[in-house]
Amino acid sequence: MYLVANIDQEICAATSCKLCTQYCPEANTIQYDTEAGKDKGLKYGSAYVAVDRCKGCAQCVWVCDNMAKHKAIKMEMIDQIGDQALTPNITYQEKNTKAVLASPWQS
Amino acid sequence: MSLDYVKFTPGFGKFMPKEYRDMVEHGPFGKKTAVSQVGTFKEIMEEHPMCAGCAMTLFIRLAFIAFPNPEDTITVGTAGCGRLAISQAAVPFVYGNYGDQNGVASGLSRGLRLRFGDKPKDVVVMAGDGGMADIGFAQTLHSWFRKEKFTTIMLDNEVYGNTGGQESGMTNKGQVLKMAPLGKKFEKMDMLGMAKVAGCAYVATVVPNNPRRVESVIKKAILIAREVGPTYIQAYTSCNIEYAIPTDQVMQDAKDVENDRYKFQEYITDEAKEHLATLYGYKEYLPKPAAAVTKG
Repeated sequence: MYLVANIDQEICAATSCKLCTQYCPEANTIQYDTEAGKDKGLKYGSAYVAVDRCKGCAQCVWVCDNMAKHKAIKMEMIDQIGDQALTPNITYQEKNTKAVLASPWQS
Repeated sequence: MSLDYVKFTPGFGKFMPKEYRDMVEHGPFGKKTAVSQVGTFKEIMEEHPMCAGCAMTLFIRLAFIAFPNPEDTITVGTAGCGRLAISQAAVPFVYGNYGDQNGVASGLSRGLRLRFGDKPKDVVVMAGDGGMADIGFAQTLHSWFRKEKFTTIMLDNEVYGNTGGQESGMTNKGQVLKMAPLGKKFEKMDMLGMAKVAGCAYVATVVPNNPRRVESVIKKAILIAREVGPTYIQAYTSCNIEYAIPTDQVMQDAKDVENDRYKFQEYITDEAKEHLATLYGYKEYLPKPAAAVTKG
């Protein structure tokens, strides 16, 4: 098994820094859903990780802990984090992306 | 090389992979995209075989986001790690023979100007420190002396990372590497000084630690290279394998190096300032209005 980044959406949606999306070395991996937090009563959207593209370098963890100081990202084993965003289930909209969560073992 | 190139033949869109459809429909082609919007549009770079946590990949990714017109851009590269990611993007990539990249780009840039006239087509050279400062040194400097109008970006990881850690001209003095066990005996080459002497219109150093600065520097360099003259960007993109940096400390290292020897520097000629101000609306380079006379 291997580690992938997992973003705590409750912490992320309370802020709107988007730093992790800018510092990820992999393209199209940390995506942003501008409406993610709104139905939970939180102010902003949230970032999420397309786990099938994540290489597990943990740069986003350093950026979230030390630059943004939100501590919202943790590295977790891919078989223990449940349903996650996967590239085939991400739809792009005009200025937003949406992901339907699914098990990483499905496809 | 043109927006029509990436679009589907009518009726064939459904056979294309999802990633390609997303890129055509929600990519940055024909739109203005910025680093601040990243994560909400499909990027033109795709999955690549570079190491996890590579700062060079981060820089290349930011560079592709920063291109003012990705649909009218050609990238040129050479042997080295960088080409593994540069070639994985929906921008035509030309692989120069080792060291040839600036010669190839000179020809391309001249040819595109003859063929397309006024329509700007950008040529961007992205190569490593070995390809540019050692093996391709003559071609790089000569392209600057000839005032060839294209952008040269050095991905400076201060080592030959792809071949096992030999010292390059850009390695720091005294640095011990796997294939330089006694430490390097000479100083790091001053490519910035040489770029200024050779007549580059815009010279800058960046560290990917600051994505918005990377974006602004690359945009300026490409816009200046359209009309004014050669531009040069030197980017510190650490090699976390050869320098044994834990991947989660790569940005800490970038920060330390930025404070130590890679402080942000920008050199821009007056002609280039005027070009940016008049054609592209850069307010900071507009001539300052005469100070208003105030009565006490």
